[in-house]
Amino acid sequence: MSYLELKNATKHFGKLAALEDIDLRVEEGEILGIVGPNGSGKTTLINIVSGYYRPTRGEIFFNGKKISGLRPDQIAARGIIRTFQSNVLYEGATVVESMLISSYQQYRTNHWQSFFETRAWKDENERVVGRVIELIKLLDLLNDTFLPAEGLSHGYQRMLGIAMAMIAKPSLLLLDEPTTGMNHEEAMFVVDKIKKISEQGVTVILIEHNMKVLLDVATRVVVLNFGNKIAEGRPEEVMNQQEVIEAYLGTETI
Amino acid sequence: MMPFLDYKNVVPKTVIGLLVALIVILPVFTTNVITLSIFISSGIWAIAAMGFTLVLRTGQFSLGQGAFMALGGYTSAILTVKLGMPFWPSFFLAGIVSGIVALLVGSVVLRVGGTYFSIITLALAEVVRIIAQQWEPVTRGTRGLITSPPDPIVLGGLEINFATSTVPYFYFTVCLVAITALIFWQIGESRLGRSFAGIALNPVLAEHQGMHLMRYRVIAFTVAGVFTGFAGCLYAHFLTVITPYMLGLWQSIQIMIMSIVGGISSLAGGPIIGAILLYTFGIYLSRLEIYGIQQLLFGAAVVLVLLFLPKGTGLVDLWERFWRKVVWREEEYEPDTPDD
Amino acid sequence: MPPVGIWIDGLIQSCIYMTMAFGMVLVFSILGILNWTHGQFYMLGAFVVYYAVTAAGIPFPISILISAVVIGGLGILVEKFIIERVSVPSAQGALYVTVATIALIFFFEGTASMLFGMQDKGLAMVLPGVLNLGSFSVSYQKIAVVIFTLVIMITMYIVLNHTKVGLAIRAAAQEPVAASLYGVSVERLSLIVMGIGCALAAMAGSIMAPLYVVNPFIGGIPMIMSLLAIVIGGLGSLTGAIVGGIILGFLNSVVAYHLSYFSEVVLFLLVIIILLVRPQGLFGASLK
Repeated sequence: MSYLELKNATKHFGKLAALEDIDLRVEEGEILGIVGPNGSGKTTLINIVSGYYRPTRGEIFFNGKKISGLRPDQIAARGIIRTFQSNVLYEGATVVESMLISSYQQYRTNHWQSFFETRAWKDENERVVGRVIELIKLLDLLNDTFLPAEGLSHGYQRMLGIAMAMIAKPSLLLLDEPTTGMNHEEAMFVVDKIKKISEQGVTVILIEHNMKVLLDVATRVVVLNFGNKIAEGRPEEVMNQQEVIEAYLGTETI
Repeated sequence: MMPFLDYKNVVPKTVIGLLVALIVILPVFTTNVITLSIFISSGIWAIAAMGFTLVLRTGQFSLGQGAFMALGGYTSAILTVKLGMPFWPSFFLAGIVSGIVALLVGSVVLRVGGTYFSIITLALAEVVRIIAQQWEPVTRGTRGLITSPPDPIVLGGLEINFATSTVPYFYFTVCLVAITALIFWQIGESRLGRSFAGIALNPVLAEHQGMHLMRYRVIAFTVAGVFTGFAGCLYAHFLTVITPYMLGLWQSIQIMIMSIVGGISSLAGGPIIGAILLYTFGIYLSRLEIYGIQQLLFGAAVVLVLLFLPKGTGLVDLWERFWRKVVWREEEYEPDTPDD
Repeated sequence: MPPVGIWIDGLIQSCIYMTMAFGMVLVFSILGILNWTHGQFYMLGAFVVYYAVTAAGIPFPISILISAVVIGGLGILVEKFIIERVSVPSAQGALYVTVATIALIFFFEGTASMLFGMQDKGLAMVLPGVLNLGSFSVSYQKIAVVIFTLVIMITMYIVLNHTKVGLAIRAAAQEPVAASLYGVSVERLSLIVMGIGCALAAMAGSIMAPLYVVNPFIGGIPMIMSLLAIVIGGLGSLTGAIVGGIILGFLNSVVAYHLSYFSEVVLFLLVIIILLVRPQGLFGASLK
């Protein structure tokens, strides 16, 4: 069985079929791109994998074990971490505070050890704070460490979103349109970071509208339209298929 | 202003130590019952207010903390008066019973958020009051139960007698307040406190980072319940009486006001300051003869304090600002304008 | 089967709670806050009417209008100078507004105690006499209350559905941001709505003045009742407020007749269950 596997995954909202019978396999270590026009169900796909929604039908397996129907925190505990399309932040927290909160899963020590500030906790905490600072540097947020997250520009808020996802210890990272609203430079910066993340062993699923980003970073691409999977394969092949072009007519962004 | 994570120790420990020392040696200077009573009552309310703030830290606004005081008070009163148990076991049971109720009720009720939760806690506080009022055989209804002070403790050759002097009560309260403050403060500093902040500031995001919302809400609610139960027990035995209306809706509201005016950015200092100031102010007001003016001034004072404080802060934040600006000469932190 | 008198009493209470709940929901829908002082405006409205009639000899109907205007104005002042000043944009804002409006309860109760004294006052029946309907009789005054409430409700319906202001209110309730983009000044609308809401509370207090007693403490129970009414009806729903008011009016009279204190418990448990199972109340969160 593959690393992540969706079988007949379906999600209905009342009469609206956001996803219909999706079969998907993701292998460990790959960077899978998910594309499709607006409303094709891309975010819904991430929502059901992350546990935000329950699939109406079908099942989802991660590492061979069924995860569909679990709570988001249970799924996150298994290593599946996602970002959000809109900037979802901890309201009122500074950058470093947001990162510290997000570092929840880095800790093996329990709350009692933290409360009594045992040696084990202190050591672990130092390591985690070190990682937090590393990530802050990696995503170019060092100048803003003590600033309220809401004060950052849109691009940097998205960086923070990715950084928070990274510190939450993902084995499988689901990125929902990470480069939206960014100019070319910023988008390429994100691409570079995604490649680095992948090198560290994290499997990535990436929703993207930006073709340049996709062609640069994805190893494989899946195309959705109206909740159905209509194509799958290497980016260059898929993007030239007739159905895909038709589905996209008028919505492609350069 | 970020009210939920206070990892920076603004006030040096020496200052706090000094204040605590002053309070501890107070009885040396005065054994005036009234003065000591003010401290004792303030302390009791401070514990309840800290409970409120702890629950608020997880994003839940409880208007029913008075019910936990009532639960604690009545548990202990019933155990000592009706079952003849000695004080100290009853004290612990008061906290435990209160905590268990918090755990059970919280597990059901904490699923709902925001305003809905507040209204539910309000309704529950009233339900507790009605039960206390109507369950005649156990609680003696509106007449209430008459309790007695704790039994004397003998340490070495020294006898600590609660009945003859207010001083032992004073130290008991101070100890309880100190223990509660330390525990709560440390919770705030620890990873548990971070989790609370996470689920309060953005429950969806926190859930997706592995934090189980209900678990942390229930933990906070239960811990608050236990300590508020202790406070209630203390209250009942200090006043030597407990009646249904003593610890009901208005007291829950009072607790809330103390916490918020004191400052919710601090788990220990804020509620303590809020409780002491509001309680002493209330005592002062009750000395004014005309009934109406007490309420008028109280309401006006709270509103004025809220208006006067910078938006979103409490009294304890004034203290923090003073410390930063005047003592540490810290420059007011101006964030850079965003790059793009 | 309780006597007819109890049913009529239930109807009267329904009218009062309905009017108050309606005002409360309006304020909640636009300003997003629960105004805990609502009950105090009820009480003050009753006092204005009392003094207008007894001290100034102004006819009752006009006194009601005066009361509505004065208290509505007071509400606007409270909103502008206290609530707005205290509120913080984030979710925390509601905290400070709640504390402020609760503190104002004390303030108004104390002021009223000092200005008007704590003794009960009664307003003589404006419409003396009773209507005899076979085995029971209804005082004209009570009939007037029902009619008056109907008039208010119809007026509100017309205002909300057939005037510009009403349209603005409904738009702002559903989509504040979009509404402001269309030129609706949400700030000004907030003041208007607050005025209307408080005026409604004042009118509720006014029409009940001749029927029940008037003293500084009469605001507490209507406040809690209208709060429970809008919870049952649905926090954002006007129809819900009306239905909730009716339910509460009859719960407090008819059910209380049978169950006495237990009806209180029933009421609170009902509210708790509703909030747990169907928090949006009977009519959901949409403003109709």
